[in-house]
Amino acid sequence: MGPIPVRSVVRAGLVGGAVLAYLALVGLVERFAHLRLVGEPVTLGRILLVLPLFAAAFGVARPRVVAGERRVAGPRAGLVAGALTGATAAGGFAVAVILADRIDVARIRQVFIAVTPGLVEFVTFERGLVLGAAILVGLGLVAGALGGLARTGDRLVVGPAIAAVTTVIVMGLLQRIVPVAMIQLGFEPDFLYSPRTRSLTWGGATGLLVLAAGADALWRRSGPETRRRVRAAMVEQPAARAGILLIALAVLAVLPLLVGSVISQVLGSVMVFVLLGLGLNIVVGYAGLLDLGYIAFYAFGAYMMALLTGATLNTTTGSAAPAWSVDLNFYLAIWIVVILASGVGLMIGAPVLRLRGDYLAIVTLGLGEIVRVLAESRWLQPLVGGPQGMRGVTNAAIGSFGFRQPQRFYWLALAFVILALFVSWRLSSSRIGRAWNAMREDEQVADAMGISTTKYKLLAFAMGGAVGSLGGALFAVQIGSLTPASFQIIVSITALAVVILGGMGSIPGVVAGAAVLIGLPGLLREFEEFRLLIYGAVLVAIMILRPQGLIPSVRRMRELHEEEAEQDAWVKRFAGEAAAVAAGPGGALGVEDEDLT
Amino acid sequence: MRKRKLYQLLALFAVLSLVAAACGGEEEPVGDETGPTAPTGETAPAVDCEADPFGCVEVAAGEPIRLGSLLAISGDVAFLGTDSNNGILLAIDFLDGALDGTPGQLLGHDVELQQEDDGCSAEGGQAGATALVADPSIVAVIGTSCSSAALGVADTIMSDAGYLLFSPSNTNPGLTSEEAHQPFYARTAHNDRIQGAIAAEYAFNELGVTTAATINDESPYADGLAAAFRTNFEALGGTITAIEQVNSADTDLGPVLRSIAEGEPGMVYGPNFNPVCALTFVQGQDILPAGTVHMGADGCLESGFLETAAGAEGDYYASSPDVSAFQEGAFYKDEFLPAYQEQFGTEPTSVFHAHAFDAANVLFDAIEQVAADDGSGNLLIPRTALKDAVFATSGYEGLTGIITCTPLGDCATDVTIGVFQYPNWPVEGGEEPSDPVYTDTKSLEEVA
Amino acid sequence: MGTEQIREVRLGRLERLPWRRIILIVLGATIAATVGIGAYRTVTLPEGQGYSADAWADFIILGVAQGSIYALIALGYTLVYGILRMINFAHGEVFMFGAFGSYFFAAAYEESGFLERQPVLALAIVFGSAIAISVLVAVLLERIAYRPLRGAPRLVPLITAIGASLFLQNTARGFFGARSRGYAKPGFLDGQWEVVGLGFPRVRVVVFLVALVSVILLTWFIAKTTTGRSMRAVAQDSEIASLMGINVDRVIVITFAVGGILAGIAGVLYAMTFEAVNFFMGFQPGIAAFTAAVLGGIGSVAGAALGGLTLGLLESLGPSLVLTGYQIPSPFQLKPAFTFLVLVLVLIFRPGGILGTGEAEKV
Repeated sequence: MGPIPVRSVVRAGLVGGAVLAYLALVGLVERFAHLRLVGEPVTLGRILLVLPLFAAAFGVARPRVVAGERRVAGPRAGLVAGALTGATAAGGFAVAVILADRIDVARIRQVFIAVTPGLVEFVTFERGLVLGAAILVGLGLVAGALGGLARTGDRLVVGPAIAAVTTVIVMGLLQRIVPVAMIQLGFEPDFLYSPRTRSLTWGGATGLLVLAAGADALWRRSGPETRRRVRAAMVEQPAARAGILLIALAVLAVLPLLVGSVISQVLGSVMVFVLLGLGLNIVVGYAGLLDLGYIAFYAFGAYMMALLTGATLNTTTGSAAPAWSVDLNFYLAIWIVVILASGVGLMIGAPVLRLRGDYLAIVTLGLGEIVRVLAESRWLQPLVGGPQGMRGVTNAAIGSFGFRQPQRFYWLALAFVILALFVSWRLSSSRIGRAWNAMREDEQVADAMGISTTKYKLLAFAMGGAVGSLGGALFAVQIGSLTPASFQIIVSITALAVVILGGMGSIPGVVAGAAVLIGLPGLLREFEEFRLLIYGAVLVAIMILRPQGLIPSVRRMRELHEEEAEQDAWVKRFAGEAAAVAAGPGGALGVEDEDLT
Repeated sequence: MRKRKLYQLLALFAVLSLVAAACGGEEEPVGDETGPTAPTGETAPAVDCEADPFGCVEVAAGEPIRLGSLLAISGDVAFLGTDSNNGILLAIDFLDGALDGTPGQLLGHDVELQQEDDGCSAEGGQAGATALVADPSIVAVIGTSCSSAALGVADTIMSDAGYLLFSPSNTNPGLTSEEAHQPFYARTAHNDRIQGAIAAEYAFNELGVTTAATINDESPYADGLAAAFRTNFEALGGTITAIEQVNSADTDLGPVLRSIAEGEPGMVYGPNFNPVCALTFVQGQDILPAGTVHMGADGCLESGFLETAAGAEGDYYASSPDVSAFQEGAFYKDEFLPAYQEQFGTEPTSVFHAHAFDAANVLFDAIEQVAADDGSGNLLIPRTALKDAVFATSGYEGLTGIITCTPLGDCATDVTIGVFQYPNWPVEGGEEPSDPVYTDTKSLEEVA
Repeated sequence: MGTEQIREVRLGRLERLPWRRIILIVLGATIAATVGIGAYRTVTLPEGQGYSADAWADFIILGVAQGSIYALIALGYTLVYGILRMINFAHGEVFMFGAFGSYFFAAAYEESGFLERQPVLALAIVFGSAIAISVLVAVLLERIAYRPLRGAPRLVPLITAIGASLFLQNTARGFFGARSRGYAKPGFLDGQWEVVGLGFPRVRVVVFLVALVSVILLTWFIAKTTTGRSMRAVAQDSEIASLMGINVDRVIVITFAVGGILAGIAGVLYAMTFEAVNFFMGFQPGIAAFTAAVLGGIGSVAGAALGGLTLGLLESLGPSLVLTGYQIPSPFQLKPAFTFLVLVLVLIFRPGGILGTGEAEKV
């Protein structure tokens, strides 16, 4: 098998089998066993069965260093090794299934609740243990072979193939969104999505395959040239840059009208998290201060907005007035909230000035928890409503034009997001931004150079807090009602994930991160149960595979010793389907052959 | 140069805000947001869709009547929402008069259920409600499961669009209060003021407890119920020795129980969820004075409690709606439960499936009342008239009791609450006989 | 810096004041006063409103017991931190998996009566299973999530740890379900031991003793055994240690394993004390234990133990001693707020923790 040792094949096979078993045990396979993506037979559950086999083979066929020399496996070696890996993985899994049946599924179910007779039937393709096992191994051979080929084959063939398959899978997953949007835009979706099964039609799937493959192939041939030209244009002609920005702005503004209120609602939530992400980006990305308690600003912004615009407390008898509140107009209150939040940021920053990374993290975490506990407390119930919460937050009306309705809220949020984007962008290239960079890279040296770390740390907290509270205030307007249940630590972690996934210190990264982590789960509600599991896995995967994030800032990449400029990956990402960021081995992750160790 | 641009932009923004602020901020009038447009029938229909502020739902001949549900069907409280959905599905089955697994028809149309997830949170309620009101073919919605999804969120969104929101399990008193009630919101679930009152009466009158302490977690449900208990208990003449709060994720209740023990209460009232209920009971064994009685509510009444509390000795009571006590008990025990078991493969995981069943049936009756054929086989259902018909329901005999809706949306006006003593609970793992040791029926006027 | 003239700057009187010192002293005095006044008011509350001496004793016992569990978990944190300079955020989940894993054995033994018939053997298996599972999770964690990131900037492994924590928690949820399970407690641990008129809950005494023994054993292990010395060497300077012939990778795996052993033991004890396990039971104790380790001075075994005990006492006495004095309603709900506030204050005045050096550690 060329440079691929047998030992590797066995190991990869076992790992693949373990991953497959994991997917089954954690409930993913069963949950999506009947989610049809294309026609009747192609369900997400079956794709999940095949994916680990493919991935294991993909991994095993990677180039290796043999005797100091880097050897790339040829397609035939890749195919053979991949097929063997896949078969091993599937075989191992099949053995586990048979064992489970021997031991008695009912008893195993007492420990692993996902192991049901239904699951066993599903993984054996409803053909009994023996035949099912055989089918599994066969599937392993095929999927493994494909995986090996995908790694070792000609880029110009493999790339489009992967793009095509990914597109079909993603479009299949969006079966509740795309047809609705199409109807809204005046198209008939029946040729693409079967009204009976809600999944893609065979014809539609084929069409998508061809289109995606063709687009990817075209891009591969002429892509680098176009990219270069676009970048040259952007650098040389500010008019071009402005033009592109205006077009982007126009699209963003018109979007809610095109996609309907359900998607607009998701977009609104994405906007709120973009704000949170931008704020946290200032603290974590620019200044390098790990803040795990960002929820504090979020909650502060929300509750402050409520108190400043005359919201009422919920009580068991109806409502009551808060111990202190005023009834201001939103457009006045928002600035008060932001200014006060900067003050809170200073207050939070002051005690933690001398603390280093990990200590800072745990202290900020604690401060976030303090805010949550206070929001739920009976002690502050006369002010913020305790567990019952508050309602009646303003809808930011101008005249009689209110902004709570999904499309309108999106516009309101978009306006503030643009402001925050502008501020972030200006900050990053300003003297303050440079000071933060220096501070982040080496605090002692920065200090020695005369940069007052005290001042800049405080500034980071103040500005980060201001933007974060902006997000919270808008959240309050969006929902109109506040309960402490919305202010748990998971929001801090999600905001952090948004910044990390997108790329620390990178502004387009924050937008991308929010789109992936908030937008996708919002659109794909079926995954709600596994959302946190996926968040966790994504965080770990990103840190190990691509710590600079989806859209890295150039500076950060240099810091992380990344060799190849991943700006190409950025453009590629936005050329194809925005949602195709998920899944995808190899190409989508931007891991080219040269990157491997 | 750059700094100036920043300042310019900020200044522009500030000016815009001031202008916006100056233009005043009245809440927009209800009903000018997205609402279905009223179809105009050629022949004069029996209903006037033009006159109905929210128009009519038009169900073409051969098309199903579409119902929506907004319940907690995912996450840790999925047992609650799925159970209610099952109740609705059984109601659809019952349209043909028999619980036989074949759905019946309403006015010659099939009935279809569009299920949405309320996420047991305000955000979830908003997302689900938005999805449902975006669909003009949805006639009405049964939901939500959790009060936090409804209060100020789903109830407002639906009322603004003219969609009836009929809840089978919201018990928070605030939802039907004078100040907060939304016009298109009603519920068949009981108002927790009633449950709190009955619990207080049982404690004071039957158990002879004169001092009590309450522990609630951070959910609006527990907070509201504990408050209702306290009000009624004190009105009866009892004394509340301590009001404590914990977090639903807490495991060490030692210090808080020790603090409560100082006041030597005769009873600890903890209307929470598991594991807090069970932990209060178990850890209280060693910390509270011997003979202290414990009491919880429907959130505690599930098999998880029995597992965690196994082997603990002491008196634990839990209150819950008592559907078996009602005269239709025979129907419930002999037909409904077996059908549930057969169609869904498990015993009911909660008690509110009965309320969902009732809500759906009340809805069907109301649709039959107000719907009219437009002459060409299409059905027209005016939204406001439908809502009014539901609110006008009176004396309807449902699984859960007599249903008479008040103008503020409380349709469970005569609520039967049973008190069950551990371990004789009507849940999986409970010991027989699982009849309540006490039941009482009250109406809203009778409670504090 | 430009070509400004370098002038000699004389600090004005205002700038010469040691601002930082002054603020710290004022802050410290205010805090001390607040706590003191609160405590005083609580203690001088009239009969019936305050707490009896019995109650104070109980609060202290409960606090020490809880603190012992925190100490056991904190030891795992501090060991890993000493060697890798990283917070293993997912250690709470290592603890949870041990407890949950052993639950199935414990439940089976209780049901079959094995626990009553052969308590020693049954308990041995229960503890053994918890330890085995915890060690497995810890070692897997190190291998998959942390080893690829050695040498990465500080932020990276920390975020990975957070992601791993989320992942493990939800994995447990997917595997075992969201329901809380009841954990069997062996009969002989029920009830209390009466000593000098005070009631000591048996199970909590056992917890304290086990924690004490563990700390002693661990200290001996690190000080006297070869492996322990290797661990210390790697903690001090891993590069030189490897040059000296120590297999750094192996030592790190052993460290995680030892942490796992302690977490497994803590898991069973925790489950027996509170008689419940669920998938989220690792989160709060994890954060608390980490807080304890930082409070005591992270990187030192004694610090973890001391921090754990201190934290337990704070959680127990804080609301009852200080907050009651101010008539704050439902003070025990504010327990986390109180705890974290103390953490912040300790770190302001002694950034290295109680047993730390008092200086801010750089890098």
